[in-house]
This record gives sequence, C-alpha cells and structure tokens, in this order.
Amino acid sequence: MTRPRLRLVGGVCAGFAEHTGVSLGRVRLVTVLLSLCGGFGALLYAWLWVTVPSIDSRAAADPLPKSSLARSRVAPSPSAHEARGPTAIARTVDDSGAVRIDHGNIGRPSTADGPFPSADAASTRAAPVTEILLGLALLAAGGALVASRLGADIPLAVVVPTIVVLAGTALAWRQFADIRSGAAQQSSALLVRILGALVLVAVGILLFFVTGTNPNAWTVILAAASVLLGVAVVTAPWLLRLWSDLADERAARAREAERADIAAHLHDSVLQTLALIQQKAGPHSDAARLARAQERELREWLFTGTRGGGEPATDLATALRRIASEIEEDFAVRFEVVTVGSGVGMRSAPGPESTPSSVDAQESLVAAAREAMLNAARHAGGAVSVYLETGTRGIELSVTDRGPGFRLDQISEDRLGVRESILGRMRRAGGTAAVRPGPNGGGTEILLTLPAPPQTKPAPDERHTETSVQ
Amino acid sequence: MTTPEPSEQGGRPRRDAGTPAAPAAASAGLRVLIVDDHSIFRSGLRAELDAGISVLGEAATVDSAIAKVIELQPRVVLLDVHLPGGRGGGGAEVIREAAQRAPHTLFLALSVSDAADDVVSVIRAGARGYITKSASGAEVSDAARRVAGGDAVFSPRLAGFVLDAFGAVAGETAETTEELDRLSVRETEVMRLIARGYSYKEVAGALFIAAKTVETHVSAVLRKLQLSSRHELTAWALARKLL
Repeated sequence: MTRPRLRLVGGVCAGFAEHTGVSLGRVRLVTVLLSLCGGFGALLYAWLWVTVPSIDSRAAADPLPKSSLARSRVAPSPSAHEARGPTAIARTVDDSGAVRIDHGNIGRPSTADGPFPSADAASTRAAPVTEILLGLALLAAGGALVASRLGADIPLAVVVPTIVVLAGTALAWRQFADIRSGAAQQSSALLVRILGALVLVAVGILLFFVTGTNPNAWTVILAAASVLLGVAVVTAPWLLRLWSDLADERAARAREAERADIAAHLHDSVLQTLALIQQKAGPHSDAARLARAQERELREWLFTGTRGGGEPATDLATALRRIASEIEEDFAVRFEVVTVGSGVGMRSAPGPESTPSSVDAQESLVAAAREAMLNAARHAGGAVSVYLETGTRGIELSVTDRGPGFRLDQISEDRLGVRESILGRMRRAGGTAAVRPGPNGGGTEILLTLPAPPQTKPAPDERHTETSVQ
Repeated sequence: MTTPEPSEQGGRPRRDAGTPAAPAAASAGLRVLIVDDHSIFRSGLRAELDAGISVLGEAATVDSAIAKVIELQPRVVLLDVHLPGGRGGGGAEVIREAAQRAPHTLFLALSVSDAADDVVSVIRAGARGYITKSASGAEVSDAARRVAGGDAVFSPRLAGFVLDAFGAVAGETAETTEELDRLSVRETEVMRLIARGYSYKEVAGALFIAAKTVETHVSAVLRKLQLSSRHELTAWALARKLL
C-alpha cells in the first residue's frame, strides 16, 4: 500500500481505496464517520499517514523493515518496559565485546511494552515493528477514549500520557534508525522530526504531572527532572551507538594507516634496492632474475593485497603475469606485461556473460600465450613485451621479442612447438595466431586474437579498470 | 592529421629545447639533477648514466629538490615520484613549486611504483615523461636526452594506462584535434605500439610515418594527459589534491 502523489490531505484514503478496491468516496465517508466516534478515525488516519510510504519514497523506506528483521533476531528477549531499553542495549554491547554494535536495538524496547502481548510474535517477522506498535498505541488511545466516552472507568490520566510517551519514543528511535542506516536524505527535515518526537516524549511525561491532583513546587521540579531523564533515556542508545561507531571507524582507520605505513616503508626501501640490483646486474644475470622475482612477489602483496600465488588466476592479466614470473625464474628474460581494457573473468564463477566455451577459449589463449612466451624466453631472451588488450571486438595478445627472429616456413615439419601449441590451439579455440617479424624486421612478434563471443552482453564498454600498470 | 598543430603542441617544448639547451650541451653535455630519497639509488644512477650527461647535483627531499632546481637550473630533473618533506606532495609538489622559477627545466619522473595515480599525479603536475626505476642507465640517459630534446617519454605501461584511461580500447576516438578527452585514431595506434614495447623509431617504421610525427603524437597525448578532464584522470587528480 502506498500513498499516491496526488493527495487531498495525506493521500491515505486514496491509497487505501486503491489497495483494497473500495471506492474512494466510501473510504472517505467511513473515515469521517470514524473520526466522529471519539476521534478514532482521525487517529487511524494519522497512523496510516505516518506509516504508509508515499510512492516516491518507498525505495528509501524499504531498508527499514529489513533492519527490523535483523534486529529482532539479534536482540535478546525483550525487556518489559521501554525505560529499560538503554540497559538492554548496553548489555548487548557488552556481550559482544563492546566493539560490534548491535544494529538493531533501536526499535526494540518500544516493541516490548506490556500492554501489547502480540509484540513478540510481530517482531519475529520482517514486519515494520515500530510502525505496528505505534499504530497499536494510537488504537489503544482511541479505544480508551471511546470507552471512557461510553462510561467505562479508565484511568485516562495514566493511559493517555503513557501512550504519548511510547509513541514519542518509538518515533524518535525510528528516526535515529533512519539516520544511522543512511536512509535520510534531508537531514534538516529529519532533525525536525526527531525534535518533534522528543517533544512528544516530554509532553507525555509532563502530562503525568499536569493531570495530577494537587500540584506544588516539588511536582514541577520532579516533572522537569523526569522530562530531562526521559529525553536522555530516549537519546542514550543512539548516542551510545554513534560513539561506538566512531570508535570503530577510528580503529579501522588506524589499521589502514598502519598497513599503508608498512607498504610505504617496503616500497621505499626494499623495492628500491631490488630495482637497483636489477639495474646494476643487467637483464641476463641470475641476480637480476632473482631480484625481479622478489620484486614481483612484493609488488603483488603491496598493491593487490593478495599473498602468495596459491589461488587460481581470476583474469587473463593475472594469469599472464603469473606465467611471466614463472618463466623469468627459469630463463634470463624480462617480461614487460602491459594489459589494457577491462579484466575478463576466467575460471571465475560462470556469470551470464562467460559461457563455458568462452572460458575454454580463454584458457587456450593463455596456454598459447605461455608457449609463445616460453619460445621468446628460450630463443630470444632479454626484454620481451607482452601486450594484452581486451576490447569490445575481442581479445588481442602479442608477444614481442628482439631475438634473432624466425620464419614459420623455416621450421621443420616435425617441430610442433609453434605449429601445434600456438597456431593449432588458437585455431581450435576459434581465434587466430600469426607469427611475423618484430618491429623493423628484428625479432619476432606472435599475435594471438580471440574474437568476442557473439552473444556479448551490453559489454564493459565504459568500464575502465584502474590500469594494470602493474 | 599527422602534423596537426605543431605550433601548439610541439611549440613549447621545442622552444625550450632550442634556446638554452644548445649552449649547455656544447659545454658539458646534458645538465641533470637527480632527486631521490635513497642515496644508494642516487649514486647508482649517477654511475650508470652515460658520459654525455653531467650530473649537477642530487637532492633527497622535496624542499632541497626545489631549492636545488632553482639554484642550479638543470636542463632535466630525474625526479622520484615518492619523496619525503614539503607538504607531502612528493615529486608532483617539486614540479609545481619549482617549474615557474626554473622555466627551462624539464622533469622526467622515475618511479618504482607504476601505480596509476602516482604516474598521473606527476604527469599532470607537468612532468614530460615517466620511466620505471628498473630501467638501465642507458635507458635513463636516453630518456633524459629525449626529454631535453622536447619529446615526451612514455613507458609501455604508461602507454597502456593512457589507452585505458582515455577509453581507446572501448573504441572511443576523438573527432577533432582540439578534443582533450579522447585520443585520435592515430594517437591510439601509436600508444598501442608503444605499449607493445616498440621504440619511437620502430613505431614510425610500423606505421610508415616519420619519427618526428610519432613524437608529435606522443606530445599530443602527453598534453591530453595533462589537460584532460576525463573523469578517470580527474578522479585520481582529485584524490591527490591536484585540482
């Protein structure tokens, strides 16, 4: 049920009529009639006005029921009265080690006041508990009014203020929940609403004393103290959580800073030294190779946060880098791996866009690239460039070396390295492979291409990954 | 298309290259200042640079680097991206502070990091090129000379990054030469080949254009990298408080 944008007062009648299919005029008539019965209709109207979301704000209001589900699971069995709310919250905070904050105790105490035994049952569902209780409170108030009008002996002097206080508390907590969950858009409006709710609480408390029989100075002082205490009690859980949120954030930031410090130190000292060793030793020496392998490992840890190379490669770029470092350990070669374009998932969870066949094709591509890189390492050595481009048209991978170079027709038929594991493999995977002389006729360039699968989805056109400048 | 606006792109560096470099080169080779906070690296680099380059001095912090640049007026500053001191801005801060008071000095960024935001920060601050620290002494010397000659120096990785950041892979191309936020077709081709490890000469050979034209394209790309407001670039720049 939602309230339409086009509304007379609050849009409640229109929303109700639309929801139930009853004609709008009839709904309005019934509302007016009910309002005449001791204001019951007006109260109901007010309740629905507060609780029923209007059409455009529905999305924003959505998270609330969910969080109330969470809170009903987390919270301990409800304490009996809302005045005990803060202690209940403090307890959960303590239980959980003062760090993890119980998200949900906000609406909790208000769900648990004595007059409504249905609170428990309601709170176990994903229902908007606060709203329901608010409604029940208003219903009870209306009912009490009607009953007293009919002559029943109801201690209105106690019931009405209680209900007002409960309603104010519930409203205030609901607003706090909004603030915290980030659902609040206009903070000034929210502030006004919170203040309103707090005023309601204060008025309710004052009502206890105003309706008292013989007021004196002590009543006034007591009333003032009670109001202050009541407001404090209502706001305490929120402040408490605000504070521990802050502490949490501080701790997280401290951890992050510490990590950054270590990274910066390693970066400055160790990486520099490794770079220097490579520079001094020249690309063909063992020292340079070792230094480079170490540098890669450290870099991986520093910049990607992954340790070791245990987990499977999740994208082509990572797979290529891993192959490069493996080959570098065995040969006097230095791979410069440059990858461009959004990383393509490989062997990752098969999403809608990565069909099994395309994953197979990519594995073939990686295998062929590995063969090409091995070839370059064996026959050329030195600096070898590996360039991977993942575009909308497909995947393009080139391995360029500055070695002596070779021509396909000069290799004897029985040598299967290039012919089978590169050319054949790419052909079977639906791609192409070409061997040609490198830049200016020196060295070799092996070019592997894999067309994009035909059923490509909207495609990652606009997704530019943060560059793989490794 | 191939020689679009030499007056604008190539003009500034070429003017810089023409006037003061000539006497300097005549007297004592290329005058260079090394800025790095690691003495091992500084001395290592100093020993590795070839004979045509004379090292005027060294600096280890942002403040001393700014002072040295202004005092010595070197032709090229080999500048580490990460530097202590100053206001914490590292190499980019040196460039911003010193560039005005050393109008003929050009900056070549050196880094071990390769992290995109580091690279972008120094390039946008005004560095004329960027190479990694694992480059050999000969490569650094060559890069310094090219920067002194008015060219931009792009490492394969920087070229790859440029292709990514400007959306060239996704097929975005600039319609006019004035457009700053996208690369032209030719520039994309040049960047692609540089990312593949081609030298400028090899790029020229592969595309059948003059080496000078390649340099023009690279300078144009550098200019776009410095001036473009593409969100990928500005995001990093904002994070680094460059804007």
